Amino acid sequence: MSLTKTTAGKTIDIVKNLPRITLANLRPNPGAKKDEKHRGRGMHGGNKSGRGHKGERQRGNRPRLGFEGGQTPFYLIVPKYGYNANHSRRPQYPPLSLRRLQYLIDLGRVDPMQPIDLTQLVNCRGVAIQPLKRDYGIQLIDEGADIFSAKVNLEVQVASEKAIAAVERNGGVITTSYYDPRSLQILIKPVPFLMSGDPIPKRLLPGEDLLPYYTDASNRGYLADPDKVQAARLGLAKKYGYTIPDITREIFFEMLVQRKDPRQIFFGLSPGWVVNMADKKILKPTDDKVLQYYGNMKSL
Amino acid sequence: MAASIRSMSLTVCRAARVAYRASYSVTRSLSTGACLRTESNPAEGSWGFIESTEEFRFVERLIPPSRIPTPPKHDGPVPSGWIPASVTPPSLPYMIRRSRMHNVPVYSDIKHGNQHSTLLRKVEGDIWALNKDVKEFLLGLTGKEPPTQVNEVTGTIRIKGQFDKELKDWLLKKGF
Repeated sequence: MSLTKTTAGKTIDIVKNLPRITLANLRPNPGAKKDEKHRGRGMHGGNKSGRGHKGERQRGNRPRLGFEGGQTPFYLIVPKYGYNANHSRRPQYPPLSLRRLQYLIDLGRVDPMQPIDLTQLVNCRGVAIQPLKRDYGIQLIDEGADIFSAKVNLEVQVASEKAIAAVERNGGVITTSYYDPRSLQILIKPVPFLMSGDPIPKRLLPGEDLLPYYTDASNRGYLADPDKVQAARLGLAKKYGYTIPDITREIFFEMLVQRKDPRQIFFGLSPGWVVNMADKKILKPTDDKVLQYYGNMKSL
Repeated sequence: MAASIRSMSLTVCRAARVAYRASYSVTRSLSTGACLRTESNPAEGSWGFIESTEEFRFVERLIPPSRIPTPPKHDGPVPSGWIPASVTPPSLPYMIRRSRMHNVPVYSDIKHGNQHSTLLRKVEGDIWALNKDVKEFLLGLTGKEPPTQVNEVTGTIRIKGQFDKELKDWLLKKGF
């Protein structure tokens, strides 16, 4: 098929034979541009120029928004109540649906053979967290619980009961853990922090508002009693009607059982260590007092 | 408590600074003909820290990848419903590439809350033939031919109305 017979060829032929495109040859489509009304310039832009007849309207002296002519306005007559008190300080948890998690695993963006925590999810651009906007982590929601079928070791900050059931039904492990804002910023963007040369800080424990959540086994909290967590797993399986697969015989059992210490931010790196990115070395303190402050953690 | 923390971190920083100064002074005292010798810790723990390279693999795990990974090959349908592009492109006069994230490039748009449109991007080849096929398909679907805008330069078609799901399924069936 010769070039001139195709559509692209026809267009090029036409354009080649036309005179050069300049401002003189261009014109918008009819009806695309409507003329603006110039106020104060006769016929229908003129006379009162759209200001009305006398009074505050024409003279531009209308009172403030919300004024009701002297009657106590709506925004003053309705009493205050603390529905939205401290709304800008409340912790927020952007959602992560099981459907999105399954999509990320299917496209190979997140590796289910490694523990999946917030660093992995942010690295694969699966979630977007803004710690400066009072985001304290992610919450796992149960949209896509029916299609979720991956065996993962998941660590989130909040999880709904059905989502926990969906993960455990497939033989996975889910934990909810707390990151204070500084630790969260380091967790989601590890490279700028490690380049700074500061020692890895220890993660703070949750405050009194969030402590009950993270010590509760039904939420799979990281501070909860492991025996109670096991009992909760069995209870949830009974409630939703599935059998928990036995993960002790799994090839990846060690990976699935891997958990962070409550004071640890990264897997395998203990607080107090300084990372030398240029020389690919880790500097570990040896002073007793320093080690005692950072919790005497062996490399986990 | 805060003062003790500051003093702890200072001990580590001071140790690092002392180590740096010591190494610098040693290289100065060497003769100019000698090659640069990197100062390694003479005795473990004498500067207040020890070096190790064993756990650096955990640091490497934290570094984000710089390229979008190619999706792994799945045999059979995938639980999330994602369908890869067919290996042999369909024998049509046009081709629709996948997006960077390996998805069909059909997007829905709303302007002013009520103006719905669908954008079909990354079209190569005979875009007018695709335009005709899209109009035929949507005529069968809705009963009326939707107005479309073809942009030959960017290879896009903008369709009036919200048809992103239907168009995605139609293109997937074709094998794009």
